[in-house]
Amino acid sequence: MRVQQILDQRPDLWRGQASRYSLPAGIPTGIQALDAQLVWGGWPAGSLSEILSDRPGEGFALTVPALARLSLDPRWLLLVEPPFQPFAPALAAHGLCLGRLVVVTAGADRAWVAEQGLRSGACGAVLIWGGRWERGSLRRLQLAAETGGALGILFREEVAARSPSPAVLRLRIRPSPLGRELTLLKQRGGRPGALLMLPLDSAGRRLDHCNASCVGPDEPGDPNDRLHQS
Amino acid sequence: MRWLAVHLPDLPLEVFERALAAPLPLAVSEAGRGERILRANPAAIAEGVRPGLGVATARALSRALRVLPRRPAAEREALERLAAWSLCFTPHVSLSLPHSLLLDVAASLRLFGGAEALIRQVAEGVSALGYHRRLALAPTPLGALVLAAWGPVGQPDRANVIVELHALRSALAPLPLQALGLNDRELGDLARMGLRQISDLLRLPRTGLAERLGRRRLILLERLLGEVADPRPWFKPPACYSGRLELPAEMDRVAGLIFPCRRLLDELEGVLRGCQGGVDRLDWRLEHAGRDATCFELGAARPLREAGRWLDLLRERLGWLELPAPVREIRLLVSRFRPLIPETGALFPEPTALIQVPAPDLLDRLRARLGPEAVQGIALVADHRPERSWRRCDPGESGTGILRADRPLWLLPKPQPLQTRRGRPWLDGPLGLGEERERIDTGWWDDCEVRRDYFVATTQRGERLWIYRELEGRQGWFLHGLF
Repeated sequence: MRVQQILDQRPDLWRGQASRYSLPAGIPTGIQALDAQLVWGGWPAGSLSEILSDRPGEGFALTVPALARLSLDPRWLLLVEPPFQPFAPALAAHGLCLGRLVVVTAGADRAWVAEQGLRSGACGAVLIWGGRWERGSLRRLQLAAETGGALGILFREEVAARSPSPAVLRLRIRPSPLGRELTLLKQRGGRPGALLMLPLDSAGRRLDHCNASCVGPDEPGDPNDRLHQS
Repeated sequence: MRWLAVHLPDLPLEVFERALAAPLPLAVSEAGRGERILRANPAAIAEGVRPGLGVATARALSRALRVLPRRPAAEREALERLAAWSLCFTPHVSLSLPHSLLLDVAASLRLFGGAEALIRQVAEGVSALGYHRRLALAPTPLGALVLAAWGPVGQPDRANVIVELHALRSALAPLPLQALGLNDRELGDLARMGLRQISDLLRLPRTGLAERLGRRRLILLERLLGEVADPRPWFKPPACYSGRLELPAEMDRVAGLIFPCRRLLDELEGVLRGCQGGVDRLDWRLEHAGRDATCFELGAARPLREAGRWLDLLRERLGWLELPAPVREIRLLVSRFRPLIPETGALFPEPTALIQVPAPDLLDRLRARLGPEAVQGIALVADHRPERSWRRCDPGESGTGILRADRPLWLLPKPQPLQTRRGRPWLDGPLGLGEERERIDTGWWDDCEVRRDYFVATTQRGERLWIYRELEGRQGWFLHGLF
């Protein structure tokens, strides 16, 4: 019997997820099973999150519903150094207002652009791809996101999971023949370790944002991940 | 009428000194009977340099002293720029050469919260531009000028404020006769008559005075006391702004340019306030000795007025500027003022939130550092060809076109040829093709004809790709997008 099943039977059991301090408001991810796992009930606004994947461009789809929601506000959505061209017809079809989208070619100034965007308060979200990040510069991004109230999402390679990070949320996403495999490596104020399968729709084309299943929060991912929760 | 006179006693020196962030011994010399020091700044005075010394003597006293020849043209330009700046307090400004400005502030007193508050704001503003100033408020223009230049200096920040005409008379009485701008011969004549102060002159009967001094001088006295009208030509602001700051010492560090540039931007802000405008483009020109000037422009998405906002953009731009040689002069040119549309607050902002464009300040800052091409938006284009169904645009546009939820989120900048094995596309293993095939066959009318069959393919690892097969030529397979 899995721990999750026991928990499902005993709703009166205290989960340790209820926060002892106030948490930033969450922006729904569009995937109910993921929202349920996150202490914020969605992406943590005013914080830095990390999405780790070895495949360039992976994980962007996960953020699109939140971006679409954020694009209703008159604030910019900054895409810093995306690995490919974000495709306008698809983004607009997912409800994203293209008038808010700004693609920045930053080169070596990636960290500066990200910090300016997060800190300014003029951005709803700042998504950053690639780059080498020191702990200090990540800390700056986290503080900038807190100042500006922006959703900061940093896309990094899976190796980054081995080094600690001040990001409040770390997800790892891997493709799998059944869909996408999402591991919750870290969440500040909540329990890590959840593993989710995000299936595809019948045409096998895009993430279904309704029926993801939770394989179980106690499935350990990589043992290394556990060791480096900071 | 209320006249506020702004007297700049150190203008010959300050046209140079205001570009200095840190004190440096500096003096201005005037040719005449031998080249002599006209004015010296406190740093130079501390080393013993006094006005009236010969230049060689002054140089001997202070090794670090820089002596610059006086530049009357630069003084006049500086005064005109200051006049344009002071239009933010009143539309009626008059130049009084060589070193004073007259502001008719009668109509401005209430707006700025009374004489004291107005004088404080003028004084702070002039100081921020790098000038020492003496201010006086009086009922007649000449009275204000005389009081500002010669009036008692109590505390340096206190202005002489005279409201009533009879008070003006008694305030002027103890001042020396030199204050009236008489020439040496006239002063000599009066001194021989035992007249030293203005009060001595006021005691004398007017008819006799007119015979001795001439009618012209008597009118001066009557204007001073407000007995006859004293019309003044109003300053007309130029339609553009052209600021110039000569650096007393050549500057080879970019960081050292911020301070003098700030002076110019502060001045520009006042000019813009006066004409109720903003600017969306600044042209900077850094002059070097014996080399072509370094020019760059600074743009903003909407007209800006505040010096601080422009300074932020300038800092970013200067951050990656390389100076080929030390800078000796900075010029700032603004060819066109734009109307500034003030931001309007709404009582119920929600319904318009979708139409609103976010504040562009952040993007201006990014552009100033990364260049204008590095910050782009993307917009839809009504075209079925994937390459042509979007375009780069200014952030804030969205365009109109065909929305397709079944399209990938990423498009490759250029379709990437795929290997084939046994007639099937291959990428680290055979690719599984989806059942649906989408034919895009269009564009025969321009140079980008497309005849393709698109598929959703799945790799062995479960990644989903958007690939197509050419319908013509070698019928090759290409990777075009990622889901």
